[in-house]
Amino acid sequence: MRYLRDLARRPMRTTLTILGITIGIWALVVFGSMASKIDSLVKGGSTYYADKLTVTDASGSMGGFASAPLSLSVRDQVLKVDGVTAVLPAVMLLMDSGSSAVTMGVPPMITGSILGSDQGHETFQTRAAEGRKLTPADDGTMVTVLGSDIARKDGLHVGDTVEMRGHQFEVVGVLEPTLTAPDQAASVPFQAAQLLLHESLPPVVRAQVAPDDLITTMTVYPAAGVDPELLADRIDAAVPNVATMTGKDFDQQIGSATSILNAILVGIALISLIVGGLSVVNTMAMSIAERTREIGIKRAIGGGRGRIVRELVTEAALIGFVGGAVGLLLGAVVVLVANEAGRTSGTVLFELTVGTAVSAMVFSTVLGAIAGFVPALHAARLDPVTALRYE
Amino acid sequence: MALLEGRNLRKTYRLGRHNLVEALRGVDVTIEPGEMVAIIGPSGSGKSTLMHIVGLLHAPDKGDPAPELRFDGRDMTGLDEGERTRIRAHEMGFVFQDFNLVPTLTAMENVMLACDYAGVRGEAARAAARDALELVGLGDRAGHRPSELSGGEQQRVALARALVNKPRLVLADEPTGNLDSERSADVLATLRRFNQEHGQTFVLVTHDPEVAEACDRVIRVRDGRIREAPAAAAGPVATPAAADPAAPAATGVPVASAPTPGASPEPDHGGAGAPS
Repeated sequence: MRYLRDLARRPMRTTLTILGITIGIWALVVFGSMASKIDSLVKGGSTYYADKLTVTDASGSMGGFASAPLSLSVRDQVLKVDGVTAVLPAVMLLMDSGSSAVTMGVPPMITGSILGSDQGHETFQTRAAEGRKLTPADDGTMVTVLGSDIARKDGLHVGDTVEMRGHQFEVVGVLEPTLTAPDQAASVPFQAAQLLLHESLPPVVRAQVAPDDLITTMTVYPAAGVDPELLADRIDAAVPNVATMTGKDFDQQIGSATSILNAILVGIALISLIVGGLSVVNTMAMSIAERTREIGIKRAIGGGRGRIVRELVTEAALIGFVGGAVGLLLGAVVVLVANEAGRTSGTVLFELTVGTAVSAMVFSTVLGAIAGFVPALHAARLDPVTALRYE
Repeated sequence: MALLEGRNLRKTYRLGRHNLVEALRGVDVTIEPGEMVAIIGPSGSGKSTLMHIVGLLHAPDKGDPAPELRFDGRDMTGLDEGERTRIRAHEMGFVFQDFNLVPTLTAMENVMLACDYAGVRGEAARAAARDALELVGLGDRAGHRPSELSGGEQQRVALARALVNKPRLVLADEPTGNLDSERSADVLATLRRFNQEHGQTFVLVTHDPEVAEACDRVIRVRDGRIREAPAAAAGPVATPAAADPAAPAATGVPVASAPTPGASPEPDHGGAGAPS
């Protein structure tokens, strides 16, 4: 294209200008992907918790995760509360006893629950990519079904044996990716989870409780038409030493924090993009000024103003486009590498959506065009004779 | 019908807050088709301004008496900038002093630029451009950039560009200004050839008397007004001192002789080019 020849007049200058856009777009892609990932995790969680309650020990939960032990007998008390149709007791604990529960991503977890106790109310379903899911027949055995990230990280397949918290488990299934928390979890039969939880308790506590009485959370399903908020209050009133989290609580805890984070991330990216855009304005202004005589010739021999503006704006848009393409490419590389590296510790931080990619390209091209517009207009408006005489 | 007729052409430029320059103070000019006319004058005489108005690059100042400008019989004074640009694109050709080719385009592409502005694209444009370059003798250099061409060759490319759309009028501003005498002679010869073989109308602005010599007619401009001397069919350009009292047009020199039939009382008032 002819436009490339004009850009090639001053290769260094063009390169630096393109670099300005590239950096801005790169930031937009990387940070935007981070924000996307956070959004989908949050949305996944929000949807998941919208129609159910999570009952835990009174110390409360962070985003639905709690590790303080609760007695299984509490289930019966909860079941008696008016408006409760089903209760699913579960045990959740960190797979790696050393890591903290508060990370940027979702840490790897071991979960076990009394299968079937939701009585069909649970709407979120996972699917097996390999092998099968757990059934009540697995009770008492040491088998496990792995989430997609766990399996991939260690290259585990059905038939392999995996050691978790000092015990050997046979892999009987691997789940399809969900892009949310289950990818980072290994589910085991309820008793096995209880056993592991028991072993993780401090010796003093361990001596006083039996493994088969232990749970960490209960998922409570409201009856049709029952307001979850009201039900939560009733449960907290009726059952001592528990805390009940609703979907709204989840949204509040997580939602506000993430939207601030999102705003900061995208804000940083936009600022760098604006700087990149100004760099295009500057470059186009210089480049156009240097071509004043040439523009004068074109106008004199019959090139209309609109035509000249279109040519120059196209050139500027091309700078934006190339800068955007390179920025997108580099951003995608960073996202890919960071995600792969982060899978081992459960910090899969980025989700590069098609939407982000397309927006990045459109944004950079339009930014280039806009940046070139004012210098172009100014040049086209010059009197051709004056332009011709410009030294 | 005259190709171009202008009356009462005035132009004043503002160069800064307190600096007004009266470049043209009331000029009448007529160009006939097939003519090769030189507009000659010293620096600052207004000759370039006259060319700019004739070439529709600038519009003449309004005022009293009202300016008239007719190109091919059509009134040009009421046109806006866009319309004038369109006419320049389709019906005029320009050659400037400093070659004025786009450096990033090849000779062929430079010529095709003029086609593009006149709405001719693709294969038709390529063919026309090739022909134009052949005509100026640069058919084999079509793929070269200006930096690869000599000064004279660049000027010829500019000429090809000016001619490619077969314009009614070609205007050249100091076409030999930056060339040595040999190249100048080449360019002038080419212009003459086009004028004689193809009937192409040329208006050349110059301060070089040799260029004037090559033309059919000379319009002399000084201080924003016209004094004009028709070039004799054979022989040197008549100088003011040797003005023939029987010549139809006024010479504008205050010679102490009886006013000639066509002369106006004020020697400084420009007369029409052709006796009318």
